Amino acid sequence: MSKVLIGLKNLSKVFQGDEVETHALSDISFTINENEYVSISGPSGCGKSTLLSLIGLLDTPSGGEYKLAGYDVSDIDKAERARIRNKEVGFIFQSFNLISDLSVEDNVELPLTYRDGISKEEARKLVDEALKKVNMDHRKKYFPSQLSGGQQQRVAIARAIAGKPSLLLADEPTGNLDSTNAEAVMALLDELHADGSTICIVTHDPRSASRAQRSIEISDGKVLSDGRAKKPTSSREETQHAHGQAEKSEAYS
Amino acid sequence: MIRANDIRYTYRSMVKRYRLTLLTILVMATGLGLSVYLFAMLHIQVFKDLPFKDGDSLVQVYALKDGARNSGTSLLHDIDEIKKNVKSLQEFSIFRNVNLNVTGADGARRFNAVKSEPNIFQLTRTEPLHGRTFSAAENQVGSENVVVIGHSFWKNYYSGDVNAIGQLLRINGEQHKVIGIMPENYYFPVNAELWVPIRENAEKILRADAQNVFGLAHIKAGFNIDDVNKEIGLVMKRLEDRYPKTNSGVGAYVEFIPRSAAGDGIAIGYSLQVIAFLILILAAVNVGNLLLARTIERGKETAIRIALGAPRSRLISQILLETIIICVLGAILGVIALKFGLDLTEKITYSYSIDRPPFWWDFRLDQYALTLAAAFFFLTVVVVSIFPVWKSFKMDFNAALRDGTRGAQGRNDGRLNRILVMSEIFVTLTVLIAASVMAFVNQRALDADYGVDTSNAITAEILLSEASYQDAPRQAEFVETLHSRLTHHNGIHSAVIASALPGQYAQRLDIAIDGFEYSSEDSYAEVNYIATTVDTFQDLGVALVAGRYFNHSDKGLSKATVVVSASFAERFFSEGSAVGKRLRFVSENNNDFQWLTIVGVVGHTIQGSSLSAHGKLPNVFRPISQAPQSSLVVALKTSLSIEDSTKALREAVSSISPDLPVFKVETYDEKIERHTRPLEFITNVFLVFGLAAAVLAGSGIYGVLSNAILQKTQEVGVKRAFGATDKDIYIEFFKHGLKQFLIGGIPGAIVGSLMAFGMMQVFPVYLIDVIVIAFIVIALVLGVVLCATYIPTKRALSMEPVDAIRYE
Repeated sequence: MSKVLIGLKNLSKVFQGDEVETHALSDISFTINENEYVSISGPSGCGKSTLLSLIGLLDTPSGGEYKLAGYDVSDIDKAERARIRNKEVGFIFQSFNLISDLSVEDNVELPLTYRDGISKEEARKLVDEALKKVNMDHRKKYFPSQLSGGQQQRVAIARAIAGKPSLLLADEPTGNLDSTNAEAVMALLDELHADGSTICIVTHDPRSASRAQRSIEISDGKVLSDGRAKKPTSSREETQHAHGQAEKSEAYS
Repeated sequence: MIRANDIRYTYRSMVKRYRLTLLTILVMATGLGLSVYLFAMLHIQVFKDLPFKDGDSLVQVYALKDGARNSGTSLLHDIDEIKKNVKSLQEFSIFRNVNLNVTGADGARRFNAVKSEPNIFQLTRTEPLHGRTFSAAENQVGSENVVVIGHSFWKNYYSGDVNAIGQLLRINGEQHKVIGIMPENYYFPVNAELWVPIRENAEKILRADAQNVFGLAHIKAGFNIDDVNKEIGLVMKRLEDRYPKTNSGVGAYVEFIPRSAAGDGIAIGYSLQVIAFLILILAAVNVGNLLLARTIERGKETAIRIALGAPRSRLISQILLETIIICVLGAILGVIALKFGLDLTEKITYSYSIDRPPFWWDFRLDQYALTLAAAFFFLTVVVVSIFPVWKSFKMDFNAALRDGTRGAQGRNDGRLNRILVMSEIFVTLTVLIAASVMAFVNQRALDADYGVDTSNAITAEILLSEASYQDAPRQAEFVETLHSRLTHHNGIHSAVIASALPGQYAQRLDIAIDGFEYSSEDSYAEVNYIATTVDTFQDLGVALVAGRYFNHSDKGLSKATVVVSASFAERFFSEGSAVGKRLRFVSENNNDFQWLTIVGVVGHTIQGSSLSAHGKLPNVFRPISQAPQSSLVVALKTSLSIEDSTKALREAVSSISPDLPVFKVETYDEKIERHTRPLEFITNVFLVFGLAAAVLAGSGIYGVLSNAILQKTQEVGVKRAFGATDKDIYIEFFKHGLKQFLIGGIPGAIVGSLMAFGMMQVFPVYLIDVIVIAFIVIALVLGVVLCATYIPTKRALSMEPVDAIRYE
């Protein structure tokens, strides 16, 4: 029996504007177990990214309870939230959000620099491992501006996994990519899941959503449905094929 | 090509962000106005050529003492040697500044005048408005007394009547025939209103009997001022070898007349120009940064316009149009402020000059100031345009259209921001350290204790004419009679009559002290020499330190007593008492080996400006009845009003000698302030500059640094997403801020301190002063850097990480 990694109970988020109060999320309750691959989908503005931000402790809920990896994180201070984010969560953003001043390896090392008790050598080892995993170890001295969109997102994935977090959160990870690179990134996520990672992906792309085991559909800030996603169509071979295609298209670009 | 639409778009954009527009215009106006003002002020007072044909080659010969430029006169025979032997000079003339008493129907008045050779007018290529100038024959001893009068004298004294030519004028008790009237605004060489022949010829006067004069000449074509000074140096060296007794350590040099007033302080002038230029650069960088912020702010809008088909060149021309409009408005405002500043400077300058200031000080907005303003405007436009245009060229508009992809350009932005911050810090420290040291030096001079009680005191000056008071007994009798009449007047509590009052420049003389050994002539000590009435110290509240004050037993030409200042006693008798010791004067004209006994020691009084070498010299006082003088200054301690005191003084003087005018009537405080007012003015200018530089620099550093951090808000969000705590972020930004502070600040502190050390060569500023001021300024700028780091970082951290990641 898998352990519960995320437990949400009646979670809500209200944005207070100057004149208008917007209820972005209301009474969200579900759990996500370790090694689950969950997609959160829904139309634009339904609150799926807000939900991901709450799950990733990037934002604070207006009400409800939230447990992450055994910690009650509903009401903890900023420093503790930062510590839990660093240890338990890895983020993959739609727009990559690599830091332009830092090289590829420094970007990947970033989460490790904020972690106590990790030596420089250990950190470098973890960085190399992560970059190898996403097939970007040959570009570690490059800067983000010298990479294509697909390569930047693979570096972002390496950064997300370098600290070996319990949970990977991806917010529209293929939104800024062409179909070939998008397929490569999704295949990489499949691979990470296959290796034991818990993944929660926000997407409005049905093809991406269908690769998850479980699909949570949000509408108007509420859970509309929560059940098994359609079986992913890609196989292990297709994944390898997509990697190759992405490399080729970058080589010609 | 700029179209009407572009102008409309620019106008709308400027109005929409009117606060930023106004701020940018104001920064531009401040920078341009202040820097051009400083350049213009120095140009008007120091660097400008005299406003005559060939004014750029007209130089004056000044004396050099022990290598120091003192802007003084040289012996007639030395000047004659220079005239005969220096081949790089031509059209040589000599002159001496004098005060002449002119007696008219309404009493006697004193005027600034010049005794000169006839060709002084030809040197300035100026013809008289009416009549003629004097001839060579009229420059001979025994010829008819003639005078050339100035335009304002003619207007005031003869109401502009052309028939003034040929009329007789009573000058210093003798009739002089008016032979010429000079044109308006002609006061050559500085502020003369009357010109009379000098009638001194080195070939007809013995060297021992000769007086001091200035030389005037044009530099020959093909030579420069350094060539001339090299030649003069050789001539003066020969004279020093030939006349070691009188010429030891004596040299001469030529300088353009406006520049001579600055003396060795010319280095300060150059430092000021560097500061002025740096202020302009500071303002330009700030304006550039504000415009860059606008460009970044409009990045997405610009990207959309490009996507809709606008050519990049057109967008850049729109940016340039906005830059030029802002710079033009800033420049117009700056020039208006400049005009106001120059008008104010003229008023202040006139307020501290009892005579009219040098005639070339024309504070109107002239071609130089306008040309400089135009040049600075173009320079600023170039500097200011670089940032936004560079940004527009480098911007990936496709990426800008996508959500949150600034990272691809951020590295270049980061580099530009770092360069901006470091430049701001460099310029700021340079300007603030130099300006603060200058303001500090001036403030210290303003706070100086002159060692005298100036309350309820009125001062005035009297010049005894050569004709009526040519010998010492007559001069002594005049002083004694005047003193007696004044002290017996109701309402006048005491009267001091002296060659110089404390606070005034006094004659400098070399002395020898009995029992001291002097290896050569130039090893004698220099002191301020003041001849004064015997009750001076009690009347002016100068404290007695040892011995006694003068008393009536010291009166008389045959007596030989002196009182010295505490500074004298400390310097020459640090062990033991000065009282009872003897000294003698060894100057050229007073070399009679008469020993004078020190009877008392009084507190130090500053003679002249506290910043000058004069002010620091020890003082030797002698009763004026022992050594009478023709140039007198009177100080009355009185309960009368200044009008009544003046009336009483004038009546007392005219009752003794009707031809003698009383001039420069003012309170003692005003007399002291006359020394300090220019300094006060310069201090205020420096304070304004320092304040403007501090505001420009502080706001600039804050603006650039906080803008840089603001642009990193998204990065802060990302770092927090990956576990960075607030403390991690603060430490990181403070480290960056400190790194930039050190890279920009170390060279800035070095350059600023070097400029301050340059001032040490001229003004009495000590190493410890420079170090303390530099540390205070460094601490203040560091404070600004830390604030500019802390506040925007705190703002970024106050957002939820998700908001920071999405921040644009």
